[in-house]
Amino acid sequence: MYKELKNLDYFCKMGFPEDLSIDLATSISKLSLRNPTILASGILGSSCSLLKRIEDAGAGALTTKTITKNPREGYVNPVFVDLGYGYLNAIGLRNPGADNFSKELSKAKKNIQIPIITSIGGSSIEEFMYVAERMLESGSDALEINLSCPHVEGYGLDIGSDIKLTQQIIKQLKSISSKPLFAKISLHQSRIDILEKYIDAGLDGISAINTVKALAINIKALSPILSNIVGGLSGPCIKPIALAVVYEIYREFPDIPIIGVGGIQSPEDAVEMILVGASAVGIGSAIVRKDLEIFREITRGIGKFMLENGFKSIRELIGYIHRR
Amino acid sequence: MNNRSSMNKPLNDEAGSIQLPRQTQSRYILGEVYSIRQLTPSIKEYTIKLEEEINPNPGQFAMLWIPNIGEIPLSFADYSTGTVKFIICRVGFVTTYIHRNILVGSRVFLRGPLGNGFTLCSLKNCLLIGGGYGLAPLYYLGRILAMNNCRLKTLLGFKNSSDVFYVSEFSEISDTYISTEDGEEGFKGTVVDMVRKILAEETFDIVYVCGREQMLMKVVKECSAKGMKTEASLERIIKCGVGLCGSCSVEPLGLRVCRDGPVFDGRLLLKLEDPLKNNREEICIKN
Repeated sequence: MYKELKNLDYFCKMGFPEDLSIDLATSISKLSLRNPTILASGILGSSCSLLKRIEDAGAGALTTKTITKNPREGYVNPVFVDLGYGYLNAIGLRNPGADNFSKELSKAKKNIQIPIITSIGGSSIEEFMYVAERMLESGSDALEINLSCPHVEGYGLDIGSDIKLTQQIIKQLKSISSKPLFAKISLHQSRIDILEKYIDAGLDGISAINTVKALAINIKALSPILSNIVGGLSGPCIKPIALAVVYEIYREFPDIPIIGVGGIQSPEDAVEMILVGASAVGIGSAIVRKDLEIFREITRGIGKFMLENGFKSIRELIGYIHRR
Repeated sequence: MNNRSSMNKPLNDEAGSIQLPRQTQSRYILGEVYSIRQLTPSIKEYTIKLEEEINPNPGQFAMLWIPNIGEIPLSFADYSTGTVKFIICRVGFVTTYIHRNILVGSRVFLRGPLGNGFTLCSLKNCLLIGGGYGLAPLYYLGRILAMNNCRLKTLLGFKNSSDVFYVSEFSEISDTYISTEDGEEGFKGTVVDMVRKILAEETFDIVYVCGREQMLMKVVKECSAKGMKTEASLERIIKCGVGLCGSCSVEPLGLRVCRDGPVFDGRLLLKLEDPLKNNREEICIKN
């Protein structure tokens, strides 16, 4: 049994004291998680204190904001739109830069027990390597390459659209460290033949999906809302899309761990994502409605679902619908 | 879901402390500028009529969007049945644009209320302390407190006499004193000097403060040393406004001004190692 389950205090803090025979622990590649909730990249992960708050809120692992070589201010306001059925953002990869963030990460590693995955961004192999080296030096438990941010030219999706370049990035990153390497992909990169190439190049796991490129207009203003005009769509409206992508990846690559991300707002959403094949779930924009309580709510709710349906371990749930 | 349309009516609470349900919303609401008053050479008051009621708590804020120009956070200086007042100081690109180009009849867009406001109370002895344009949220707060039979004293600090504004407004609802650093009007010195003088003679059930962070921290320290409860409203550059992006985080506690604040309990602020870090005066301002 997961060793921390024996520590009642620790487990009660996670908000699930009802039945200690339920095993909520999961793993992605070499990372062991106390529960399957992960802070998704781009959300709050830019300082040690914020990451610590998410650990205290009950997350199983943390993904940092995407870190680039140089600091980025991001775009001017408006950078966020609440559409009712989802959210649109174009923050513009705002981050303190690799050198500044490596100090935060070192501090975070001393104060935080759960795994920290650093999301790294770049516009060239050299930039990815520079950021990766800084983050690994500072104790990052894993790296997630951002191949899919839809709203920054030369980064994210622009890199991820170049399959050969991405393969090279994966190969080079794997050559410098044995720490797990994940890729955050978008809907547009979910083609099985492309993912196969990345896995052959050494990729250890897949985070799917990033936000979907989108645009919001306010007709009373006769204007797009975001200063960058286009941004990334997240929230409830992208959940069915994310489920389909995770479903197909698991079907083709059942041994590759998947972090299912996209519109998870409730324990039921998380269970759906795990049933189609995710080993863990990324939580992001659900914070808008439910704030940091969402991590505990989801963990507790998954546990309740397992109790009611006779599952003992979360591992029995992962990809369950493929084995019907 | 909530019954806060009664916001501007007296609140009945014998115990004296009222916790209203936190209501936020982040869709844009159309507003039309109804009137503009020049308060000082760099500060204007904008009265805006909104398409719908929003019922903010005093201390909450809104994001004001001027299409193609930008979006800035503003405290509610007053609110009544769909009409909102903002006090806008010319400090950066967006505020300069507003001063020059937003006229009576102009259309603007607002999302809010956002964040957590002040704790409201009734029948209490309250002190309001404001510095410069930081007094904005205190006026709305004071008006609601006065309606709830609180005894109010207000201390307002300004650089010099040409910066003085809103004194007659505050005088209508409270016992109001002002300070100017050159002594041309009111008490000579800073608002902190005036606070020290008042606190030597009087005690209060709760002290509300808003203004420059240096002043605010001194006031919180002075009041806390005397065992008085304080609440302070902080200002940061705010991006998403809903607690997602982390841009407005106050270190080392990771407090999000837009979501956990902008109003914080003074006891929490005493734990900050460097409250001035990331202050808007110290970082490049695009707004």
